[in-house]
Amino acid sequence: MLIRIKMIANYRDVLPPDHKHGVIELDLAEGATVYEAISRFDIPLNDESVIVLNGLTVDMSTPLKEGDMVTAFSAIAGG
Amino acid sequence: MYGWHLRILRINLTTHQVTKEDVDPKIARDYLGGRGLAIHYLYKEVDPTVDPLGPENKLIFATGPLTATPAPTGNRYMVVTKSPLTGALAHSNSGGEFPTWMKRTGFDLFIFEGRSPEPVYLLVNEDQIEFRSAAHLWGKDTHETTDILKAETSEEARVACIGPAGENLALMAAIMNDKHRAAARSGVGAVMGSKNLKAVVAMGNKNPALHNAEAMRSISVDTSKNVGVDVKKGSNMRIYGTSYVPQVTNTLGILPTRNFLQGTFEHVHNVDGDALKNQYLIRHTPCYRCPLSCGRLTEVPDGPYKGKGEGPEYESIMSLGTGCGVSNLAALVKANYLCNEYGMDTITTGMTIAAAMEMYEKGYLPEEVTGMPLKFGDHDAMIAMIRKMAYNEGFGRELAQGSYRLCEKYGHPEIAVTTRKQEFPGYDPRGSQGMGLLYATSNKGASHMEGDVAYEEVFGVPVKEDPLSTDGKGELVKHFEDSFALMDSSGVCVFVGIRYMFNKDRMLLPQRLSEMLELSTGAGYTPAEALKAAERVYNLERMFLLKAGSTEDTLPHRMLHEPLPDGPAKGRVVELDKMLPDFYKARGWDEKGWPTKEKLEELGLPLE
Repeated sequence: MLIRIKMIANYRDVLPPDHKHGVIELDLAEGATVYEAISRFDIPLNDESVIVLNGLTVDMSTPLKEGDMVTAFSAIAGG
Repeated sequence: MYGWHLRILRINLTTHQVTKEDVDPKIARDYLGGRGLAIHYLYKEVDPTVDPLGPENKLIFATGPLTATPAPTGNRYMVVTKSPLTGALAHSNSGGEFPTWMKRTGFDLFIFEGRSPEPVYLLVNEDQIEFRSAAHLWGKDTHETTDILKAETSEEARVACIGPAGENLALMAAIMNDKHRAAARSGVGAVMGSKNLKAVVAMGNKNPALHNAEAMRSISVDTSKNVGVDVKKGSNMRIYGTSYVPQVTNTLGILPTRNFLQGTFEHVHNVDGDALKNQYLIRHTPCYRCPLSCGRLTEVPDGPYKGKGEGPEYESIMSLGTGCGVSNLAALVKANYLCNEYGMDTITTGMTIAAAMEMYEKGYLPEEVTGMPLKFGDHDAMIAMIRKMAYNEGFGRELAQGSYRLCEKYGHPEIAVTTRKQEFPGYDPRGSQGMGLLYATSNKGASHMEGDVAYEEVFGVPVKEDPLSTDGKGELVKHFEDSFALMDSSGVCVFVGIRYMFNKDRMLLPQRLSEMLELSTGAGYTPAEALKAAERVYNLERMFLLKAGSTEDTLPHRMLHEPLPDGPAKGRVVELDKMLPDFYKARGWDEKGWPTKEKLEELGLPLE
């Protein structure tokens, strides 16, 4: 199934250079989880990162569906 | 006593006389400084029902016990007064260099009273204090004013001033310092303008004595090192400043777009941090003694929007960009420069134009009134309106009153997205419930800086909180409000404060911040004592605004009755009624939101 990974700001550095505005597609086996998708990338998988599924706060063990978007960004105070 | 000078400079603008007063050390300890000490004096001396633009109102500049100390980001001051925009309380924060220079004059607070018969500026060089004519400055923008004043006083001086917007009493007028830094919100610049005070020039060498200077230096170095570790890893705040945030809020569906008609912006890539960095960034520009350095000097090198200045920050990208449906980055950057030069709060400026755009598109504001088409996305119309607002020209005269008054006048109050008549910042609370509670209850009207619970709901700092949940938000918002009151009263920046001066805990224990306060002052601060002082400050502010008649903790129609039409929070409104009772309970207030007698007694506050 095809899902999308979106990296924001400095996390874009871990994507291949052909990403479009920080988004790439990934082809994963059915039933793959948020963790399985995001752990392919060299970002901290702890509270230094915020990871959301389709913009929503979910458990990392949540299974993905075709077309889902997993987004990650660095946890830092701003705004 | 240490940390504070325990001295106030009281400036009577009517008579052009100044007096120097001592501060009771117990009062300083109880109210910390900055925002806290200022509300103590405002509450004691100003009737909350006075005309905010009349001579009876007072304007207070207040530094904290960490301002002008080695504490990283100890460079802040607060401007506290009765707000002409909200009719209640204003407390606006700014950094840069002026606040440190102000504290080095040897005074913690400047209290401005009355109204000068003619435009003046005040020079404070320690005990040399002079009222000088500002006739040659009136009408000049904040950059010209700053350059002229430094040339005629000293290059070593630092300047806070108003621009045309403040002179013309626009209700979104800011007080700018060091050209690019703003005590922006709630119309504090209009209060300064109403007093015929164009500028304050500060210089001196009186750093406050410290209770334990060596330990203070050591803890400050250690804190800076912690910031440095993150910066080395590639901190977004160093790389982008806050301009990286549109991508975050857009992902969560809470990026205010077209006056909150939407929560996502289809052209976000045109106005995000990468676009800004790649096209216009020149270099980073830190506030004084800041290891994070999130400020940025930018330049639009040519074309119709040519200009140079600092920013825009996230809030300005939102208000002058997505909020107005504007996707032309050069125009947005120019609009931000103009707000700084005219001396205007970008949030209220942009969101008032956004409300006017919505009314125009819906046919509620005819072109005979606006003077030109005013559609979402029309960046040239937006820029034209900013100038008209600053100079009180044509339709700008109505925009200069803010969106609440504008929408009410034309019969559509439901279009104004405000609380306590102040425009929302850049987090749509329908997808960030805690922010909804914050906006509804904030002592200064809608503001993220009153207790930015988005740090947890959006940014995961210090821990991640589900933004769509209402559970426990009453207590969380109360704790964030108190923590921000603590930072605002101490004189440090919230960006560095939250992450490096509080424990990494959902409820934000200010361990390091209270240690710094103690090393600075020796007044006996523990984390609990510091938080208690902050709670005292918050409650006294609450009493001021309740007495000013601003008694209703609610949200505008759109937030309570119009579900978000798009994005992850689609279908949601703010469930305020689920959170408000918990908040009042956490605060120890009655069911109408008034501090109880027991709470006031517990905090040692006046019962009347």
